[in-house]
Amino acid sequence: MHYPEQKFPTLMSTISLLVVLAVPVASFTSSPAWAQEPVTEFDTSAQASLDRGNELLLRGSYLAAIEVFSRISDDFYQAQAALGLSQAHMETGQYGQAEAVLLRAIDDPADSPALATRLAELYMKTGRSQQAMLMLAEVIDGQLNPPVRTLVQYGLVLALRGDRSAADTQFNAALERYDGGLVFESADVAMVAVAARELNEFHDANALFSEAIRLDGNNLEALVLWGDLFQEKFNDGDAQTNYNEALEINRRYAPALVGLARVESPERNLSRALDANSRNVAALQTFGELMLRNGREEEGLGFLEQALDINPESVSALATLAARAAMNDDMAEFDRLLQQVNAFSPESAGFYASVGEFLGNNYRFTEAVEYARRAIDRDPRNWHAHTVLGGNLVRLGEEDEGKIHLEQAFDNDPFNVLTSNMLQVFDVLEEYATLETEHFRVNMSQRDAQVLWPYMAPLLESSWDRLVDKYGFEPEVPVVIQVFERSEDFAVRSVGLPDIGPLVGICFGKVVTLISPDTLSANWQEIVWHELVHVFTLQMTHNRMPRWLSEGISTWEERQGRPEWGRRQGLDLIRAVQQDQLLPVGNLNNGFTGANSDADLSFAYFQSYLVVEYIAEQYGFDDLLALIHEYAEIREESEMFHNVFGIDMETFDAGFRDWIDQRVADINVYVHAEDSPDEGDGHGHGVRENSSAILAELYNSESLKQYMRGRVQREPRDFQAHLQLGIVLFREEAFDEAITHLRTAHELLPDYTGYPSPALVLAQVYEAMGNEDAQREQLAVMLENQQHDFNAPMTLARHALDSDDLEQAAYYIDRALAVNPYRPEVHRVGAELAARQGDTARTVQEFEVLLTLDQNDPVAARTDLAQAYLANRQPDDARMTVLRALETAPTYERAQQILLHAVDQVGNQEDN
Amino acid sequence: MIARMPGLVPLLWLFTQSLALQVHAQSSDNEGMPWFQQNADSEKYAVILTGAAASDEIAGRFQRWTTELHHTLRDDYGYDSDNIRVLHDDGQGIDGLTLAGSSRVDDIADALARLQGEISSGDQLSLFMIGHGSGRFGDAKFNNVGPDMTGTDLAAMLEGFTEQDLVVVNTTSASFEFSRELSAMGRVVVSATRSPSERYDPMFAGYFIEGLKGQTADLDRNDRVSVLELFNYAAGRVAGWYDEQGRLATENAVLDDTGDGLFSREPGLNAEDGLLAEIAYLDVIVPEQAKTSPQARELLADMQSIEREIFILRNQKQNYLEDDYWRRLEALLIDLATRTRTYNALP
Repeated sequence: MHYPEQKFPTLMSTISLLVVLAVPVASFTSSPAWAQEPVTEFDTSAQASLDRGNELLLRGSYLAAIEVFSRISDDFYQAQAALGLSQAHMETGQYGQAEAVLLRAIDDPADSPALATRLAELYMKTGRSQQAMLMLAEVIDGQLNPPVRTLVQYGLVLALRGDRSAADTQFNAALERYDGGLVFESADVAMVAVAARELNEFHDANALFSEAIRLDGNNLEALVLWGDLFQEKFNDGDAQTNYNEALEINRRYAPALVGLARVESPERNLSRALDANSRNVAALQTFGELMLRNGREEEGLGFLEQALDINPESVSALATLAARAAMNDDMAEFDRLLQQVNAFSPESAGFYASVGEFLGNNYRFTEAVEYARRAIDRDPRNWHAHTVLGGNLVRLGEEDEGKIHLEQAFDNDPFNVLTSNMLQVFDVLEEYATLETEHFRVNMSQRDAQVLWPYMAPLLESSWDRLVDKYGFEPEVPVVIQVFERSEDFAVRSVGLPDIGPLVGICFGKVVTLISPDTLSANWQEIVWHELVHVFTLQMTHNRMPRWLSEGISTWEERQGRPEWGRRQGLDLIRAVQQDQLLPVGNLNNGFTGANSDADLSFAYFQSYLVVEYIAEQYGFDDLLALIHEYAEIREESEMFHNVFGIDMETFDAGFRDWIDQRVADINVYVHAEDSPDEGDGHGHGVRENSSAILAELYNSESLKQYMRGRVQREPRDFQAHLQLGIVLFREEAFDEAITHLRTAHELLPDYTGYPSPALVLAQVYEAMGNEDAQREQLAVMLENQQHDFNAPMTLARHALDSDDLEQAAYYIDRALAVNPYRPEVHRVGAELAARQGDTARTVQEFEVLLTLDQNDPVAARTDLAQAYLANRQPDDARMTVLRALETAPTYERAQQILLHAVDQVGNQEDN
Repeated sequence: MIARMPGLVPLLWLFTQSLALQVHAQSSDNEGMPWFQQNADSEKYAVILTGAAASDEIAGRFQRWTTELHHTLRDDYGYDSDNIRVLHDDGQGIDGLTLAGSSRVDDIADALARLQGEISSGDQLSLFMIGHGSGRFGDAKFNNVGPDMTGTDLAAMLEGFTEQDLVVVNTTSASFEFSRELSAMGRVVVSATRSPSERYDPMFAGYFIEGLKGQTADLDRNDRVSVLELFNYAAGRVAGWYDEQGRLATENAVLDDTGDGLFSREPGLNAEDGLLAEIAYLDVIVPEQAKTSPQARELLADMQSIEREIFILRNQKQNYLEDDYWRRLEALLIDLATRTRTYNALP
């Protein structure tokens, strides 16, 4: 959807008038933009050639267009031919030829405003803003009514060169021209839109671009500029529509391909853009940023270098390089690049804002804030800088100041989707509860505050103590944790936009965002622990730790946290080794940045974890700690590894490969090439489904059985074949044979955690056989490695309670709570356990949670809670709670008795 | 059509009646509020209409609900088997049930006509409809074998029950328009859906029966289940089910007990409907062994009086400041609890 059309009334009325006027005018003009030269006579063949050339240009047949324009010799059409020819050259990156064509055609810039303006634009594209400025000034000085395009291009060059006030004068002149009813052509209306955009009049810019397209649906420049406006405001959907509309007209139009690359399929679209114009600066620069983001440093720098060779005044390319220098603490290089920018654009706010944005996107929030502040110092009206500042302050936990800047940005640029989204999350948070422990400040929904918080609070503090002790480091407090009920709010708070993919928790160093466990089917306690480890490793390295190591340590720590936590992806490991998917340790970040699927991302986590486990196992935890500290400094990764392990990366990598080979040998399971890997959400947090085994559960296929028997005969250590065979046989009620295969599968891979696992199916087999003891035994076996199951621990907890084994009951209740604290039954069982243990406080806690969760019978829920309060010597709470039960059920005698007891207790307390 | 129409009943007065009934002690001055005043002499009848099913699986579900409803009324609510008339599909038998006939229109009309001859003044008839329904505005049908029965058809068949209290529970899909035809003063009508567009088979019947079983829906713990309690229980469970599944609810149950044909989604306190449904109980009243000592009779009268005051206060909650309301309520509840304890201790 495009922006809502809201404009100033005067401008709106003018636009309406122009719609009427523009049609007849347009019908008499042959060239859309430049038909302002005096007309004396027509050469129909030249006119036809010109039309043909323009058509070829529009459709992207640039070489054919060059040929046609070059053949036009009629003097009368020379100016228009030169315009077409120069544009065709520019679209193919032949800037020199374009310049030569224009210079030949221009005698006096003031007499050839269109050609001179085109030449000035060419100067801008090739990093000669000073020449562009002089050329445009000459046109404007020599013309009573210079073309709108000249005014706007002059404004742009003045703005680039730091003369904001003079630039605004030109932009306002363009708008006045429009308001005066003197702008008719689509191309000129688009230029007025650019002027409005530069004056931060985004409503008007939007409406004017819309008007330009209405006047000429083939105005590619307007379509892309409008798309860029959408994209700048993070409205990717509308941007994409515009770029695609342009590409339907001209599939080789490089500016549209570059725009589209910022929204989807970046490499493919940038490659197509460079195929059309290998010297397109925007494409080169965007490609460079993409490569840098994906850890392909050399290629990225190569692209940026090419971009700057063509246009040494590309602020974006210079800002990216400067930000990279700042990331590496190379301030000499930063200053050199800053001087380079200052030479043509003194103290550019845009430059600082871009540096800040780049740093923020790379987790360097403190520095991002610093540069965004510098941008605002230079230009307080740079709303983009306010958004960058606000967003990064929020990630540092500086919510109040962050909100102020976001609000400022939104008030002046309400179309910025990112700013608007982030502000909406503040509204969500206002409804949330704020809860505190010694080291944490937590925001969560009122429901989560009732249900989750009683179990999360002790987990946070006990985890804190363990990690402080282990890492010898105390992070800055309070650590802010925000738990969002809606995944869209979680995503917006985390990255500003509502789609974040499979992530379930993100740590920014001092701030952690989480999806509420209410919307997950995963062990939320493991997720909390995982993110807390990030708090430590990121703060220990001032957010300089690369993602692979930070994720590797957090994932490795999962296994250290509790026996059932962590990932056991033995089959994936064997498959990855078979398919040579393991990345060299030095390239592990590419596993994250270059992931094409959830499975890729999940494996990136797993391999990173394996590297950390290798370090901890082979070198010891102290060396892992030393490596973490290395990342606090700016050094080459190979140097850090050498400092800690005394070997280079290649040797380290070789050792890791040997260790992996040994691990694969130890697992010693055959993995058939046809089997699909297990799949799951949440990049490793949560159940991973074995789709082949699930299908085997659904069908009793004779052919499947025969096939799997064949596999087992050929490869007795074929885990998947044994499992599927066991499932099929179970469905056929061939229980004994099923048990044999399922037990074999379990022995082959005892820590398999996919769904269904051999132990789970065995439990089902025994249940079908009526052997409850064996069923429970298998459920217990399954739970040794499967942490995401709710029903099994509940079954075992109930049985333990029935058997008076309160310790086991407590263990399994905790296991169920770790998966789903929102199910009333776990609290009912918990309350029973607490009552039997004489733990009156815990009984109260369980009934308080039940009051929130169990809406079916509020009278019973309140009466139970009141009873628990009474037992816990909280007679006032008991009184008020039971009054609410009796309000509905005044004759309920059990509640009546509680009321009388509560009143007695209150009286006794007052007497004492 | 409505024989016992006394005109509009003041709200407070109705609550007073409701209170009297809840403590199982009918007051003698009920001339202005003639409905649902069953006592130990009253009989209760049930008619279960089970329509045609679209598939064997659905037929199995309808039969299960029919059987469960029949057995629950018989075993837990004191209904004489002879007083439960089951009219099923095209008359094929259901294990364990004696059928009164098929659910063809003619059979329904015959069965209701016969029942009219047996039922006494002051008795209560509850009519449960299980099956598929269909309908557009003004043309709603119960899908039975043979010509489908319309709401107008059934309304005409019920016209003769002028001396009895009627409860109609229509659990079919697109049941709303049909149910609206049955709306009448002094009658409680429950519809599983609130518009003809809610045409998918509702879950309502299952939860309604679940609420009946073991008096699960007895929210106020008076050991009796009212139609209002059942409605609230089943409607709440249906909403919870859709919420849990993350699906948009395709059924929304409604209730009308004022005879205006305007159904409420949330009947009860502060709603247009619900006051009659609150005193419409489904159980057959069993005579109690009352304590006969003068002290016991005096205490019982006091308890009834206090309970009445509680209902009055609760109904006027919005007229009190929060603290004042709870202080007053607490005083009454303590009084009631103390007297109940004393009463129970009496021989």
